[in-house]
Amino acid sequence: MKIETKVPFKIQREPFKNRFIKSVGWSRGSDSYIISIEAFRSDFVYGYFEVKAPFQLVIDIEAAEKPSSVIVEKEKKTEEKKPEPLPTTLTPPVPPENPPSAAITSPPPQPQKKAGPSAKGIKTIVIDAGHGGLETGAKGKFGALEKDITLGLALKLKALIERNMAFRVVLTRDKDVDVSLENRAALANNNKADLFISIHCNGSFRKKAHGSETFFLSLNATDEEARRLAYFENSTSALEGQIETDNQDEIKMILWDMAQTAYIKESSQLAEIIQKELNLLLGTTDRGIKQAPFKVLTGVASPAVLVEVAFISNPEEEQKLLDQEFQNNVVQAIYRGLLSFLKLYS
Amino acid sequence: MDQKKILIAGFLALLLVILVVIFFTSGGNEKIKQSRELTPPELKTQPEVPGEKKKIALFFLSEDDDLLHPEEKDIQAKASTEEEASEAIEELIKGSQSALVSPLPPETKLRQIFLTKEGMAYVDFSKEIQDKSLSGSEAEMAAVYSIVNSLTYNFKSIKKVLILVDGEEAETLAGHINLSKPFAPDYSLIAQE
Repeated sequence: MKIETKVPFKIQREPFKNRFIKSVGWSRGSDSYIISIEAFRSDFVYGYFEVKAPFQLVIDIEAAEKPSSVIVEKEKKTEEKKPEPLPTTLTPPVPPENPPSAAITSPPPQPQKKAGPSAKGIKTIVIDAGHGGLETGAKGKFGALEKDITLGLALKLKALIERNMAFRVVLTRDKDVDVSLENRAALANNNKADLFISIHCNGSFRKKAHGSETFFLSLNATDEEARRLAYFENSTSALEGQIETDNQDEIKMILWDMAQTAYIKESSQLAEIIQKELNLLLGTTDRGIKQAPFKVLTGVASPAVLVEVAFISNPEEEQKLLDQEFQNNVVQAIYRGLLSFLKLYS
Repeated sequence: MDQKKILIAGFLALLLVILVVIFFTSGGNEKIKQSRELTPPELKTQPEVPGEKKKIALFFLSEDDDLLHPEEKDIQAKASTEEEASEAIEELIKGSQSALVSPLPPETKLRQIFLTKEGMAYVDFSKEIQDKSLSGSEAEMAAVYSIVNSLTYNFKSIKKVLILVDGEEAETLAGHINLSKPFAPDYSLIAQE
């Protein structure tokens, strides 16, 4: 983070437990004070006013669209322990005209080729078995649990891919354990995933709900996010050297929050191809490809889809999901989808 | 003459006594009684002042398709949008009055709705919205958008909705749909009647 000031300073920082503000830092210069507020999100606006006796600067921050870190240089004229009055200028915060990305952008967890992954480029496929552990997911009328079916399918798919393709397959879980949604995306990114496939079974209030569908992430992207993204796509390498290590954590988080944004096009293609294969092999109703804000997909820095194989809440489909042959067909369909997707990029 | 005067005087005195007696016994008491009885009915009339009703549409599920179906409902007009929106959400939790299905667990309590000037509604639910929630992406989408659309459709000042659980930002209802970002309405999920 570049802070423009002529005063040499060192910012002390303390965590500020709030879902909006991450930490508050302060520093004393020769004729000024600096307060730095680090936020978890970048879309906010702020205002400030002064209160006299004792002097207070009150900063109001609320959701909107502005850069992610506000630095206010603050003069103090009424602090008791300071005998000399100081010049009374309130330096404006970092001007919003600055490209917002300049302050907070860093290279993605793993740099990607613009053209999308070539067949040669794809080396690691991450398969995510939905739910696990205490988090059972949806339940069937006959007692089938989503977490068990997704794990079975993930293990089968891993075996099938490894038998026929020279790819590394990483599972987000290979047994019945809890894995947080963020850790699933983190695991994919840390393993430099080239593709991410999450397997789920659907659940509905309507007993009759049935069919298969494939999702990719819906972008509720604000203009701000889009602008930031465009900037980060265009100048990744230029910025690489400018980032101070201290801020790495914050940067990583912001980027992972929107990591999937860069792969929406590939993700939609992958979804389309897999859904086509599911329709051919499963004999279930085609619910099509859809977009939804799935938490597990948001942080994945590669093409990523979520397959809702069938409705476990529908007793008929629950039986299918428990059937080995049906499971083999599901895995076969996803595998064929992967093959077709790879051909697109070879 | 004297006798006549005494007679008249006696008559007048008697008349006066009678009038006084009448005044204090029947008539006067009745009037006081009446006026006392009139006070409570004045209080009674307060609820009778017809509060303005407001027609809103709440969005529920139907067994027939995976769309949200509007159901009309009268709510009491209130001083603030927050109060009216709270009543709308409480009615949504109570469920449909026809054959439609509410996607929210009936045990859920609405803790608070806070509306910003920019049109962001923070809707804070009790833990039951997660604990009793039906898992599944369709179920969660239905729950989220019944809330979001029911608010944005009826209250023009609400543009976006952020769902909180127990006063905190929540990750998901049951493992699928991301709640950490505000939702804009999605009217494509509404059935065209």
